[in-house]
Amino acid sequence: MKRTARALRTLTLCAVVFLAAAGCARQVTRIAPEQAIDLSGRWNDVDSRLVADAIIQQSFASDWAANHMRAEGGALPVVLVGTVRNRSLEHIPVNTFVSDLERAYVNSGQVRVVVAGAERDEVRDERLDQQQNASAGSRAQLAMEQGASYILQGEIQSIEDREGRRRVVFYQVDVSLVDLQSNSRVWVGQHKIKKYVADPRVRI
Amino acid sequence: MKRILSPVGVLALLVTTGCGPRLVPVLQNGQMIPTNTDAAIAQAEVDTRAEQTRLAEAVANTTTDALASCAPAICDAIARGELAIGMSEADVLAATRTSQDAWSVRGSGGASVLTPAHSARAPRDGVGSIAFVSLQNGRVSGYTYREPNGLRMVASSADASPQGRARAQADALLTEGDALAAAGQLDLALDRYDRADVIRPNDSATTLRIASTLDKQLRPIEAILRYQLFIHQLELEKIEARGEAAARMAEAIARARERVVILDRQ
Repeated sequence: MKRTARALRTLTLCAVVFLAAAGCARQVTRIAPEQAIDLSGRWNDVDSRLVADAIIQQSFASDWAANHMRAEGGALPVVLVGTVRNRSLEHIPVNTFVSDLERAYVNSGQVRVVVAGAERDEVRDERLDQQQNASAGSRAQLAMEQGASYILQGEIQSIEDREGRRRVVFYQVDVSLVDLQSNSRVWVGQHKIKKYVADPRVRI
Repeated sequence: MKRILSPVGVLALLVTTGCGPRLVPVLQNGQMIPTNTDAAIAQAEVDTRAEQTRLAEAVANTTTDALASCAPAICDAIARGELAIGMSEADVLAATRTSQDAWSVRGSGGASVLTPAHSARAPRDGVGSIAFVSLQNGRVSGYTYREPNGLRMVASSADASPQGRARAQADALLTEGDALAAAGQLDLALDRYDRADVIRPNDSATTLRIASTLDKQLRPIEAILRYQLFIHQLELEKIEARGEAAARMAEAIARARERVVILDRQ
């Protein structure tokens, strides 16, 4: 009788362990990219999207591009995407919202965007290679690049206020377009994000 | 009083204080991000296309009108995309490939001035960025470029030529160099004189300025070379002046003889 009871207890324990292990299996669910999900409170895709949306709206609401077109007889402004510096203490991949802005400019037909930095070097290398290896009719000509009228620059800064298990994180993203000839800023976009993060009292 | 200080009230007060500030969330965790960016992009595309079409039509109409009625020299300037003395307002728009939106017109009576409508982006012709265009009785009497050394005025066809442009730029650099030399900035002054010398070579006034600046900088060997070059240039100028004077004199003598013959016959 005693032995049967012990066997039953062992079996129950095994069943509990098995069920617990099954419950801990990794679960993956596809969700919409538009859904805001914050886990750690650090910079994430939601912040990047909010910044991109705000900056795009502000840029289109400003009349800098229309002014350029009127001054240049309808010619579109040409923008070179420069550097957006991350001056916060977090790792922030800035290219996500910069790419969103580039996409908006190009798809709207309002602005011509030229590549810069490593991308431009790659294109130049390929063009030089074509001078040696491509047929005369198909090779891209040298010294025919489109010069930019403006450069897009920006920076992200953050301020953190922490007390015990609570903290407030503030991010400020500033993006501006600078006239390459006169150094004057023709447009400045800004977006601010403030988060209140409270860690749980007990962590398992 | 007794009711306020009851244990439940004190506890509630403590709990409320411990919770911190009242939060006003703008986006809840799990909520969908509200966005209308794609609609904004589509609207910007429509607006841009409409504005671009309007401006392109305005530029095309102005250019067609200008080319239909311009004199050959003005038509050449329009084709090159350069301003020229004697152009009409429509010719100016055609030469700068702009529409009325790029300019603001001021003035009254026979005189008017075209200035850029958007100070951040001045219209340009094939030579440079334009500061303003002066018109007398509907025709361009002068125009001014905004250049690194300041404003450069073009009031005659000679000013518009490459030589005229170089002369004006060199003069502006010499003026700037003189001001720097007077302020004791000899290195910067020498830099301006050297640049003027590149733009307008073999100019004795520039060489003398370079020589005296080098002299003041206690660089005697270079100064001597420049002084010698200055003397050589003066001699060449003297020869040239003598040659021109002799040629003018010979021309005058020939004309006088011709007149004597004519008068004798009469």
